[in-house]
Amino acid sequence: MAASEAVVMSARAKERASKKTEPAAGAPPLLLAAAWLIPGLGHWILGKRVRAVVFAAVIISAFVTGVLVQGELGTPRPGEPFSWLATLACLGNGALYLARLLWVNGLHGVFSSAFPYGILGGGDPVAVGFAYGNTFLYTGGLMNLLVVLDVADIARGEKD
Amino acid sequence: MVVDHLLLMLWHALLVAVFFAFLWRRSPKDRGILFLKTFLIMVVGAIALGWLMYPFP
Repeated sequence: MAASEAVVMSARAKERASKKTEPAAGAPPLLLAAAWLIPGLGHWILGKRVRAVVFAAVIISAFVTGVLVQGELGTPRPGEPFSWLATLACLGNGALYLARLLWVNGLHGVFSSAFPYGILGGGDPVAVGFAYGNTFLYTGGLMNLLVVLDVADIARGEKD
Repeated sequence: MVVDHLLLMLWHALLVAVFFAFLWRRSPKDRGILFLKTFLIMVVGAIALGWLMYPFP
């Protein structure tokens, strides 16, 4: 009797230990959405306050610099497959991207009959800082996508 | 608005270096080392590449 109890307890202890080391199945989708939408919010929710502030400052600074030097946000264009990659990179900026598109196009401009085409990305192609601005906008979006992946890893217990 | 190319490049390198230092390292010392490495590689590399491209039309 005592021996069988010991076996059962040992099996339970092993099960508990394996649960501790195994990461959770997936990160909460709402957390990832928050991390994407507002740069730094995912880390803030997870209690990584310093990283949250730094990531938010860096990504927002990159985005604002890109807009100020007349960079253009990536938007889909018919017959230009690479414009989708630019869109994906810029979409990483989350709410900043959406707000800028609304600012440039207005609600009717964004959801016109040609959606998803025909949306203006702002900026000025003949401005001195145009290419730099694009780089800042793409970089900001890609950095925020990396931040979302980092949040997913932390939420799953794979990183601290 | 400042559109000096060198300043914009330094600003971009600074942002990227700070970002990766905080994303990939945890201790302040390691962050400082990675920041310096990334920043210097980006800035010195860009200037060196600029000089290498100088003879070409």
